[in-house]
Amino acid sequence: MRKYKNTEFPHSHNSACEAQIASRDELSAYIDKELPAWKRYLIQQHLKKCRACAGYVQRLQKTDTFLRQSGEVEVSTDFLAGVLTRVSETTQHQRQQASLWSRVVQRLVPGLETSPRRWFRHVSILAYKLRQNIQTRSPIYIFALTFCVFTMVGVTLYPSRSDRFGQSAHAWKKSDAMHNEKLISFEVIRRDPPKRLLTTALQQK
Amino acid sequence: MFVSDEDLMMKCRKGDMSAFELLVRRYQNPLINYIHRSVNDYHRAEDLSQETFLRVFKSANRYEPTASFKSWLYTIATNLCRNEVRNRSRRNTYYLEDLVEEGEDVYHTDIMRDTRYMPDVLLEKKEQRQIIRKAFAQLPENQRVALTLVTYQDLRYEEVSEILGCSVGAVKALIHRARQKMKKLLIKAGIGEENINAKI
Repeated sequence: MRKYKNTEFPHSHNSACEAQIASRDELSAYIDKELPAWKRYLIQQHLKKCRACAGYVQRLQKTDTFLRQSGEVEVSTDFLAGVLTRVSETTQHQRQQASLWSRVVQRLVPGLETSPRRWFRHVSILAYKLRQNIQTRSPIYIFALTFCVFTMVGVTLYPSRSDRFGQSAHAWKKSDAMHNEKLISFEVIRRDPPKRLLTTALQQK
Repeated sequence: MFVSDEDLMMKCRKGDMSAFELLVRRYQNPLINYIHRSVNDYHRAEDLSQETFLRVFKSANRYEPTASFKSWLYTIATNLCRNEVRNRSRRNTYYLEDLVEEGEDVYHTDIMRDTRYMPDVLLEKKEQRQIIRKAFAQLPENQRVALTLVTYQDLRYEEVSEILGCSVGAVKALIHRARQKMKKLLIKAGIGEENINAKI
């Protein structure tokens, strides 16, 4: 908290009072009746004895009374009517918006709950609960969160076959069949005796 | 039978317009005066007060009776005033009341009025009001809001701390600093301590 120098307020009660019963903030709170009863009693007793503090409080009170004399502005007679008109306009506008939305939703999904505010409320409650559960480190939500994270990492590192080749299931079947054919042909080639063996056999003959 | 603000607000939440009307009647006067002290323009103060009540009505669904209605209302009003003052400084807009030179008496409400035959007391009061308003305008924002709420709206320190979002101790310090500064500004404006005492 900022502390003022004594020179800033030459009428500081602390300069003359050595009892230090209350700070200047507390003396200000005293005139607003914002102190507990025991503190008020202590200050009252002190003010009877200490002229410096009594003068300080008196000056504060006078400033406060002077400020209260600044007068008030009169409220115009049509103020209330203006507020009510604005409120009714807003309510009407909200109703129109809601009815438009409900018509759209009913056309898209007949029989669905048509109050967007209610949906929004449900979603916000769910989001709030989720946030609160995560904040309180609920084991179920921590498990669910970990599971989600691992699943995402797994999907990223080990994509499915269709994802790896970027082909559709149909195309994959086709390529798989072709691959089998290649393997068969490879087996046929492998079954032939190697040329080197043939030449050695001929040499033996 | 006296119905508390919180009960009225709960009725308003259920769509009771008469409860809302009663709330407006209860707070229209202090609210306009509070906003007027912040923005220094009566018509703008009236607009902002209407906007405040409109926001109260719109967000009635979110109101919980645990919070004091009074501090909630003044929080909305304070935020609107802050926006207004910020926008005004951004647009470099000055209202006629701000342009009044020292010693001059050209309120926008007085332009059409002949002040020559007004009683001296009224003139003196007007002058006094003008000095106080100018001194208030020179206070830092938080100090001004805190002092206005305590002095003119009779709010408790706790309610002010809710509105300003600070501790009660901080409010205590703000009020005290504001009073000290006001005293200095009033003395500087020619209303010395002796004059204050004499006027009181």
